[in-house]
Amino acid sequence: MSVTDPLGSPEASGSSGTSGTAEPVHSCDAVVWIDEVDPQRAIAAGGSKMGRLAELLQSGVEVPQGFAVTVDAYARHCSESGLDARIDAVIERLGATPSEAEVEEASAAIRAMFRDTPIGEHLTARLTEAYEELCLRAVDVNVPVAVRSSATGEDAADASFAGIFDTYLGVSGIERVLDAVRNCWGSLFTGRALAYRLRRGISHHAMPIAVGVIELIHARASGVAFSVHPVTGKADRIVVETSWGWGEAIVQGLVDPDHVEIGKADGRVLKYDVAHKRIVSAFDFAVGAVTEIDMPAKLADRRVLDDEQIGAICAAVRAIEDHYGHPVDVEWVISRHRRAGDPVCIVQTRPVTVTAAPEEATPAAYDPVALAQKYLFSGKPIPGR
Amino acid sequence: MANVVPVDEFATGEWYPGYRPEHFEMPWIVDPASPFRPGDEQGFWFLDFHWSRGLTPLAATLWSGDGYCWGTQHAAESLPLPPGRGVTARFAGTHLYGCALPETDPREIGARANRIATNLPHFLQNYRSIWESGRDELEATWQYFRGVDFAGTPDLSDLLGQGRRYHKRAMEIHFGVMYPMLANFLGFYGACADMGINPNEIGKFLQGEDTKIMETDRELDRLAGRARQLGLADVFETHEPHELRDALARHGGAASTWLTEFDDFLQVYGWRAEATCDVGVPSWIEDNSVALGLVKTFLKRPEDHDFEAAARNALAERDTAIENARSGLTREEQAVFDAGLRSNQEANFPWWQDDHNYYIDLKVMLPLRWGCQELARRQGADHKDDMLYLFWPELMDVAAGRRPYAGELKSLVADRRQYFDHWHAKRGEMPKVLGTIPEAVEDPILIEIFGLNPQSIKAVQNPDAARQTVMSGVAAAKGTARGIARVLQSSDDLHRLEPGSILVCESTSPNWTPAFGKIAGAVCDGGGMLSHAAIVGREYGVPTVTAVGVATLSISDGDEIEVDGTNGTVTILTKAPTTTSGVAETPAGVAG
Repeated sequence: MSVTDPLGSPEASGSSGTSGTAEPVHSCDAVVWIDEVDPQRAIAAGGSKMGRLAELLQSGVEVPQGFAVTVDAYARHCSESGLDARIDAVIERLGATPSEAEVEEASAAIRAMFRDTPIGEHLTARLTEAYEELCLRAVDVNVPVAVRSSATGEDAADASFAGIFDTYLGVSGIERVLDAVRNCWGSLFTGRALAYRLRRGISHHAMPIAVGVIELIHARASGVAFSVHPVTGKADRIVVETSWGWGEAIVQGLVDPDHVEIGKADGRVLKYDVAHKRIVSAFDFAVGAVTEIDMPAKLADRRVLDDEQIGAICAAVRAIEDHYGHPVDVEWVISRHRRAGDPVCIVQTRPVTVTAAPEEATPAAYDPVALAQKYLFSGKPIPGR
Repeated sequence: MANVVPVDEFATGEWYPGYRPEHFEMPWIVDPASPFRPGDEQGFWFLDFHWSRGLTPLAATLWSGDGYCWGTQHAAESLPLPPGRGVTARFAGTHLYGCALPETDPREIGARANRIATNLPHFLQNYRSIWESGRDELEATWQYFRGVDFAGTPDLSDLLGQGRRYHKRAMEIHFGVMYPMLANFLGFYGACADMGINPNEIGKFLQGEDTKIMETDRELDRLAGRARQLGLADVFETHEPHELRDALARHGGAASTWLTEFDDFLQVYGWRAEATCDVGVPSWIEDNSVALGLVKTFLKRPEDHDFEAAARNALAERDTAIENARSGLTREEQAVFDAGLRSNQEANFPWWQDDHNYYIDLKVMLPLRWGCQELARRQGADHKDDMLYLFWPELMDVAAGRRPYAGELKSLVADRRQYFDHWHAKRGEMPKVLGTIPEAVEDPILIEIFGLNPQSIKAVQNPDAARQTVMSGVAAAKGTARGIARVLQSSDDLHRLEPGSILVCESTSPNWTPAFGKIAGAVCDGGGMLSHAAIVGREYGVPTVTAVGVATLSISDGDEIEVDGTNGTVTILTKAPTTTSGVAETPAGVAG
């Protein structure tokens, strides 16, 4: 895998704004399809989130259909609409060490600019064309999609960036899709992202954003899965957290999910803790979006996953970890249409940065001396007492 | 800042009448035993539940010096324990307090860690032969004493000296085995807990192995069955334990047959005292009433306790617990668990902790006791136990004829008996801990045998202990029971238990076992998952909470209480209507 790290080399794309204007717009530059893009340049064009989906698809993992509104499209929009100059002016006024309130104010101003600046005619045509193609592929009218920010360097650079940019689930119709794309672009300028770049002296030009438009999988259940224990880093197990409906409530920490641990060596379910799940991310047809509502009482305490589904999730997690060669976390969805034996759908994956502390790792063998040292002669209470 | 409980009250320099510091002079390794001394508040002292009666001058000095201090310090230095040098002892009146001796030099700790890295695996690989050769050595010495004609030995000095050496050697073997077994067990325990295994299950993995103490219970139960069969149940019903021997002899006929069988039983199982390493306490052979009282208790049970079914259940419960624990582990963890379980099944600490009492703790002071009683007979002492109120140098002088017993020593013994009784009555008021209280301790014996975990250490410092109504401890045997609390100071009070009582005490030992056949629940100040009460509570299905710290302070005799052995809590539901302090202050069942 070739991970571009724009934060580490700001000069690489610092000139993209000016060089972009010199070339004529080409549809290939504005939109890339997950199943068509060359994985080698997928991340550069579609950002890390979309680029990884393209890589996964290539490696045989089930991912949703969709396309990315590319980094180039974003850069061209900023340049041609005059946003670049107005953003730079706001950021210049901030200086090097603004207060938190000043950063938030600048963030709100810039995001409002993105909301209020229409997408140019040409790009609108490209996106409309792509959305119609997606409708055709899904055999649906105004197919609901997930519109996800896919920043360059979002995941690779710093774990604290995870989840900082906007995602819109269940967006239906081209007008709403265009709105969602502009909002995702604007989310490159959240207060947190602005402050981070100011602190590090990084230009926002150095980390342009792409936006994914992918078919919304009609989720029966969703969740996250880790190819190592996300807290202890123990590599001998897969950890799955899940709830009914879409995964937003889990990702945002709004619901206490079912917790499952699976032995990696033999795929045995080691434990399954059923949680009382109060909130569910469900599709609201009136609003036309996935929103968080109270979980129906009869579902709240019900176990979400059966062993077959757990097996399918683990198979995908293992395949992704093998593909990248390092621990990963993934967001997965089980579609309403999935049948036993089908793969689960992966909507996102990232590297896991946690590594097992030596004292947390499962020892390779029973060593009474090491264990006595660790638990008895360490000056700490023995666990469980 | 650490909480410090002053020791000044007990460090007055005063002790038993006629005591002089040289009475405590004997070889020592790291720290010698003594009465409390000024400056002792720097250590962390806990009241040792094993000797809740208090100790006579001879019992106090020899046990603390040759046994407690020599044995633990010898073993901790030779294994060695990296951060600890064993345990030392002090006396507040007749009551023994223990204190772990820390190793604080980082370089020493490192060197000791290197040594245990060689010695612990060696011990575990050779556990069986190490323990069995130690046990056989002690049994050989025991057989030697059985063959000695104490009455026909003109000078008892050598025999008394040999008795003392037997005890001291026994404690070297005892702690030399106990420390490495505990280190292995607690390491395994920590690993299990860290792998997510419910700590309450860990004790079950090693249960169900037959021990000499369980064998004794079965034999007692068989004798009870024989008594019922021979129509003697009425005799047991209508007499108190101390009257039973005479009553059965008077009864004659079938009772004589039964007594013959009983005496055969005693020759095998009766060489055991009612307390650990206390020369002041008789064996079952010397005082039949204990064993006869146990038979009486067994006869009160509506039906025979099915030992075989209980053993089968314990094994089935063990296998289920192991299977459940394994199923939640990854394959890598299972490999560690399986190897740890094998190691601990081979060197089974919970089993040893019960079994060794038969070979060591309950009989190792008997030869010394026989020598003292023979000397008392020759000196025409008022009571056969009078020599136990002498200090060792005094005893040696009397035995060698250098000093008469009559006169000064005899009068000192009378004073010392008063001193003993005075402190015996004060047991319930003794502080559970003294000195500088830490948050946690590292000595494995303190952790496992005394139940000194962070929670119990906190509990014993609670100034409102006497007023609290909800306590927590180690959930040792599952289930919930309600009943009237019987707060017992020692096994001398066992007769006060009624069917359905809740036993509340500092701790139990093997001679308390039969009581679990009639009580509804048990609560102990000390102990842990593997203490005697926990093991027997699980075996008998009696809800039990250990390591409560202050149960004997907070609960009054007669209170209605609830024991939740599943969650490790004890609740006082109704305080006894009137003060029952009279019960607590009466030293029930004290001999002499």
